[in-house]
Amino acid sequence: MKVCPRQIQALARLSVLELYRRKDLIVVFVLGAVILLPLALFTPFGVSGAARYMNEVALLLVWLFSLVIGLGVSARLFPPEFESRTIYPMLAKPVARGTILVGKYLGALAASVSALMVFYLAYGVLVGVRQGAWFPVVFVQAFVLHVGFLAVVTALGLAGSLVLTPSANLTMNGLLVIGMLFFGQRLPSLAAAQPQPGKAVLTLLHWFAPHMEFFDLRQRVVHQWPAIGWGVCAAVLIYAAGYAAVCLALASVAFRKKRF
Amino acid sequence: MEIVKLDGVTKAFGSVPAVNGLSLTIRQGEILGFLGTNGAGKTTTIKMLLGFCRPDAGCLSVLGGDPCDPATRAKIGYMPETAYYYPYLHVRELLSLYGGLCGMSKSAIRERSEELIARVGLKDAGDRLLRHYSKGMLQRAGIAQALLHDPDLLILDEPFTGLDPLARIHFRDLILELKRRGKTIFFSSHELSEAELICDRVAILKQGSLVWSGAVGAVAGNGEQNLERIFLKMLGESDGSDVRKRAVACAEKTDASPRAAEEEVQS
Repeated sequence: MKVCPRQIQALARLSVLELYRRKDLIVVFVLGAVILLPLALFTPFGVSGAARYMNEVALLLVWLFSLVIGLGVSARLFPPEFESRTIYPMLAKPVARGTILVGKYLGALAASVSALMVFYLAYGVLVGVRQGAWFPVVFVQAFVLHVGFLAVVTALGLAGSLVLTPSANLTMNGLLVIGMLFFGQRLPSLAAAQPQPGKAVLTLLHWFAPHMEFFDLRQRVVHQWPAIGWGVCAAVLIYAAGYAAVCLALASVAFRKKRF
Repeated sequence: MEIVKLDGVTKAFGSVPAVNGLSLTIRQGEILGFLGTNGAGKTTTIKMLLGFCRPDAGCLSVLGGDPCDPATRAKIGYMPETAYYYPYLHVRELLSLYGGLCGMSKSAIRERSEELIARVGLKDAGDRLLRHYSKGMLQRAGIAQALLHDPDLLILDEPFTGLDPLARIHFRDLILELKRRGKTIFFSSHELSEAELICDRVAILKQGSLVWSGAVGAVAGNGEQNLERIFLKMLGESDGSDVRKRAVACAEKTDASPRAAEEEVQS
């Protein structure tokens, strides 16, 4: 796969510009602000434990918004190009299909991470004001791993955008990501308790589906538990990079076989 | 020098043949009009020339190379028939995107973009998003992006669609100026009058097969045998298809008028 930085930069810029100019993101930001502000500012019934619960809900919403943005952006990377035929002038330029994939992927990731940064900044400032803990290490680690999560989600969305319609892509990948986020850790025990073929299916899912729970440090942030080791953090990021690379390789095969 | 060479190129989509044994050459500095009805195989041929798809049989070369190779495509400019481009970009951003894809430097993109925007008459619309452009304005943006990297070969798919009469005249002048600068132009069209005005040669395609190819100069201005008559005759259900095919070959070789070639073959 031959890639050229200048071409990748041009493609990534296109994805970011389109995302912000389409104004879809403004809706998500406004919705996020409307939900985050009351959750982070009010202490229901004056109970401190309830405030912690509110923080947990706020952080969960940040996760859900980031999933919507990551999948929403990546699922629409290619279908509109095929539909409006804007892909033709692009393919006619001296650019390899692999470069188009990488450029679009990085653009979608950059756009999603920039939106995530806004959410984390808002959450961090609100919690800092309330609790006096300004961006502790575990909070920074949570953000870094969240970026890893988005790297996988965006790669899944991009691969899906080459073979599925945007709505089918959003539904299938959304279910997969949410399912793995909440049940990924329990898959081996669930598989052990199942008869065949359910056991085989769950075992396959355990080995091949992305383990989104690796990226989730919400509990540590909310309960102000100690940070994890940076080595573990790096290992999880390597897992994210590897999984994203596999998705991009599959997307590359689909893109090369695509008939125009 | 042969810029484009197709030799027995065949392409089918499933069981539906799109192009059938097409052989054609375009020489440097020539303007070739590629004519045919809808579904004749013009766009499929263009897609093969741009490396979007490969022929099932036969071989083709563009500028002496394989169009699937990005290095070959670096010397080709392409303007699609209906590309709506990116609705949330300005024309300068669009040209910056394509310039980046061509590997041009930022300063070169800026300089060339300003020149082309002025040339295609979009200077006053530079601050508007492309989604607010009319069809004719999008065509102009398409012309600008095709010329951005100063290609040696221009492939234009229905370039006159949506252009107003004034824009047509400007575009025609632009094509002729490019020809004077030694560029080779291949364009598909339904517009026989435009083809007659600017083409050196035309090739007529019917159901994926070449039915006539020859110099326009030999038929232009001849009321009895103008391009429209030839077009209608070649696409009609008249007999003598064998004669016609041989006339095509003869006219290709000699650049003789098709009528003379046909008479020669018949005799």
